[in-house]
Amino acid sequence: MERYFHKELEAIRSKLIFMGEKANEAGRLAVEGFIESDLEKIDAAFAMDDQIDALEVEINRDAVRYITLRSPVSSDVRLVFVSIKASHDLERAGDEAHSIAKRTRSILTRDGKINDPVAIQEMSRLAFAMLRDAITSFLEEDLELAQGIIERDKEVDRLNKDNFKKLSHAMNTANGEVSTQIETIIISKSIERIADHAKNLAEEVIYLLTGE
Amino acid sequence: MPEPHAYSKSIRPKGEALVWFTGMGLGVGILLIAGLLAVILKNGLSMFWPDTIYQVELVEGATAGPTNGKDFAGAIALERYKRLQEEGVRLTREFQFFTGNKDAYGQMYHFVDSDQILRDASGKPRFTPADGILQLERIEFGDALGYPVAIDLADGSSITEPDALRSTLFETIEASNERLKAYTKIERQQIGRINSRMESIRLEQRALRDELGAAAAESSDRMQKLTAQREALQLKYNDLAAEARALRDRRAEDSVRLRLPSGEERRIGFDNITQAHFPNEMSLPDKVGFFFRQIWRFVSEDPREANTEGGIFPAIFGTFVMTLLMSIAVMPFGVVAAIYLREYASQGVIVRAVRISVNNLAGVPSIVYGVFGLGFFVYVLGGSIDELFFSKRLPTATFGTGGILWASLTLALMTVPVVIVATEEALSAVPRGMREAALACGASKWQTIQRIVLPASAPGILTGLILAMARGAGEVAPLMLVGVVKLAPTLPLDGAFPFFHLDRKFMHLGFHIYDLAFQSPDSDAAKPMVFATTLLLIVLVIVLNLSAITLRNHLRRKYKGDTF
Amino acid sequence: MSQETTTTSQKEDFEPFIQIKDDYNFWYGSAQVLFDLNLNIPKKQVTAFIGPSGCGKSTLLRSINRMNDLIEGIVHKGDITIGGQSIYDPALEVISLRKRIGMVFQKYNPFPKSIYENIVFSLRIAGRNRRSELDEVVERSLRGAALWDEVKDRLHESALSMSGGQMQRLCIARAIANSPEVLLMDEPCSALDPIATGKVEELIHELKKEYTIVIVTHNMQQAARVSDRTAFFYLGKLIEYDITDTIFMNPKNDQTEAYVSGRFG
Ligand SMILES: Nc1ncnc2c1ncn2[C@@H]1O[C@H](COP(=O)(O)OP(=O)(O)OP(=O)(O)O)[C@@H](O)[C@H]1O
Ligand SMILES: [Mg+2]
Repeated sequence: MERYFHKELEAIRSKLIFMGEKANEAGRLAVEGFIESDLEKIDAAFAMDDQIDALEVEINRDAVRYITLRSPVSSDVRLVFVSIKASHDLERAGDEAHSIAKRTRSILTRDGKINDPVAIQEMSRLAFAMLRDAITSFLEEDLELAQGIIERDKEVDRLNKDNFKKLSHAMNTANGEVSTQIETIIISKSIERIADHAKNLAEEVIYLLTGE
Repeated sequence: MPEPHAYSKSIRPKGEALVWFTGMGLGVGILLIAGLLAVILKNGLSMFWPDTIYQVELVEGATAGPTNGKDFAGAIALERYKRLQEEGVRLTREFQFFTGNKDAYGQMYHFVDSDQILRDASGKPRFTPADGILQLERIEFGDALGYPVAIDLADGSSITEPDALRSTLFETIEASNERLKAYTKIERQQIGRINSRMESIRLEQRALRDELGAAAAESSDRMQKLTAQREALQLKYNDLAAEARALRDRRAEDSVRLRLPSGEERRIGFDNITQAHFPNEMSLPDKVGFFFRQIWRFVSEDPREANTEGGIFPAIFGTFVMTLLMSIAVMPFGVVAAIYLREYASQGVIVRAVRISVNNLAGVPSIVYGVFGLGFFVYVLGGSIDELFFSKRLPTATFGTGGILWASLTLALMTVPVVIVATEEALSAVPRGMREAALACGASKWQTIQRIVLPASAPGILTGLILAMARGAGEVAPLMLVGVVKLAPTLPLDGAFPFFHLDRKFMHLGFHIYDLAFQSPDSDAAKPMVFATTLLLIVLVIVLNLSAITLRNHLRRKYKGDTF
Repeated sequence: MSQETTTTSQKEDFEPFIQIKDDYNFWYGSAQVLFDLNLNIPKKQVTAFIGPSGCGKSTLLRSINRMNDLIEGIVHKGDITIGGQSIYDPALEVISLRKRIGMVFQKYNPFPKSIYENIVFSLRIAGRNRRSELDEVVERSLRGAALWDEVKDRLHESALSMSGGQMQRLCIARAIANSPEVLLMDEPCSALDPIATGKVEELIHELKKEYTIVIVTHNMQQAARVSDRTAFFYLGKLIEYDITDTIFMNPKNDQTEAYVSGRFG
């Protein structure tokens, strides 16, 4: 039986998906700004962070209200909890995007352009695909897709390690600006973190769908 | 190894003594009722069964029997031991015989000591079934028992050949009964109608005389017209009476000659015979058929011979109608009173006093109600009604004397406390929630009572009515004062306008029993009737109650309480 | 921990329909059960009365349609108005008042009549006997009370042959048959299974589009789910009255907090 207050749960879900889109969008803009040395995209990425934070607060408030007033059970209560956790992950992903944007701006204002975007490019492609798929798996309740994401995190981790080796090696050989190398390492790390959040999200979707 | 559970093994659990005691009380009650019913059933029903008639031979020098020592025939009605006083105390057996032939023997029942009866080889009194004996049921003098000798018909012929005699006997009875029916019809209906018209003419003439003065009235047109009418009616009456008389006389012209078991011959006219049977020649199915026919005649025919013969239909009918009238009177009255007491009156001291009085009224002896009914209903109410509406008939009282209306009202008054108490109980048993629900729907108080409370309490109210009916139908004492009679010429309900005659006196089973048992000239002859009538009274009360109970159960099912 | 004043939200941004005012007090004989109540019940919303057993919720509810008039020795002080009109106005007929107010009692109390006749009772006593109208009302009311599918084939059987939960829903159907303005429900789901409870809650949610509803319930979740505003009573006093979200998520009063969180007593 569909109850009138199930609409409220539906609203929480929609907000979460909306938040996922926003976080994804913010990360994508930040990385594109890095790759294309585009300050405008960086600014756009900055602007989205507040929206994402506001969405998290809103989702948390709705979830608490729903638990208090609607006494949900079973998959409904999982959805409410997943919403709280997932919104937190997305908020953190948004924070990472913010961090990427910040570092990129710092590099761009110093160097004028990014010299070697290739390593980051490959990695970010993988990471954002994971995040997108995680959101899709939540939206479409696709268990297989969510389970696949967990494996894919390893590749991103490997790429991050490669980047770290490569950039720390470059630092040792004093090839170019050290600050830039360090900031690129941080960006790489942020992307790796985004992939981690995507993985968390996927795990939460699995929990939502299976209860385990 | 100890048993896992130790149950008490005592056969007699503690505290069961009371259960035994209550059970015993119930048992005694049931036993009493069953015994009573058995006695009434046996004695009441045996009256309808065609008993075998025995020829009884008496010993030499015996003085017993209907004709001082001569042999006789009869059915054994009773066999008992009696104490002989004269020689110390000695027990001896004696038989009571139903011998019929009251006209010849003076009584229908005779006691004979067993030692006066001739014995057979084994020393027991000898009873031989009387071959070919005929039992005739007569209008007068009770049954006749005897051996048919001849039938003398109106055309002068005599039939003596046994087979022809039998068939002629039954044919003649049938024809004679037809004639009886024909002339009763003339007497009851046609002559009755003429009588009532003549009576109204007489009243009108009297009124004219009162109005104009005797001399002037005699010469007035109206008076002359009335006189002419009356004369015409008188002529018609004479014709009809002659016709009826012819029919009646015709019946007496056929007769049967019987040789009584004691030897003498008797002639019995067919005008006196209602039925004939040969009791010793009947097979079991014949007897059963006869038994039921007799029962039917008993409940459907009028009484004869000071109520000791014939049926008791008027008494059944009177009881039934009176009980019905009483119910009709007591129901609305009691229910309305109870509704006011319970629902409308504010429950103060006065209402409590009224309630106590009502409860006490239920315990007042019924004869007191009879006296009240006579004093108030008959004399005051009835007297006033007569003065107002039937003054022309005075001094003959119409309502100013006992009648079925006053009897019913008296009983209604007597039973109204029962109905009030039961109704109040039933009303207060209707849950408050149900009333509240109705009121919350916007019903007024009266609508709530009428549509919810009354239907829901109908079973309880009916219980009250059942109790009232049971009490009313069996009550005799007050009725004797307000309208019951031992023989009513007419029924309270018949084909003459206005069909329902509330002023008429009526017969009642209870009073009928009293009359048979204590007022009857031949108490032996009346005894079976007493039992049969008692049986019927019980049956009638049961039927009335059962129908009310069925109705109540039907309602109960309809308004059955909660299910969870 | 006696609390002398009622905690109410500062802004009452609604149109009051039922007003309990002038310090409403109520006595059964000499026993006072309601103390100095003042509260405004919004139009076309659901207001829940909650509180421990015996705190006077039913008494207040039954005061609104003057059902308590049946009980001897009752006394009241203060006033109750519905749509601005005092229910104690001597010119007002109680019957006409009750016709505007449907009531579902704490104990279900169907009439010993058929299901059909139970529902059309309020119409019949108003002299409305047109068959087509009655049929329509029966179906609408039974559907409204989520009972239609179960009983549509036995409308003319005795209502007393139904199960307890069905009887309770029948009483709800009876209460809405006459399209009242106000619906008073005293624990309407006390005998119902979760499905039927859910259906009744859906019904309440549906009905509040047209009716002003007051519901008494011992089920906190139910109060939270169905009501827009909640009043918490304790020992005949109104302790806190606010929008339901506030009462259950952030009550201002400690007693309310303790009661709704089950720590009371
Ligand atoms: N008819 C009555 N006569 C006297 N006292 C009553 C009556 N009805 C209720 N009371 C008393 O009034 C007080 C409030 O009763 P009420 O029925 O309003 O409580 P309630 O809040 O509805 O309780 P519950 O949740 O158990 O239904 C109780 O103490 C009760 O004993
Ligand atoms: Mg209550």
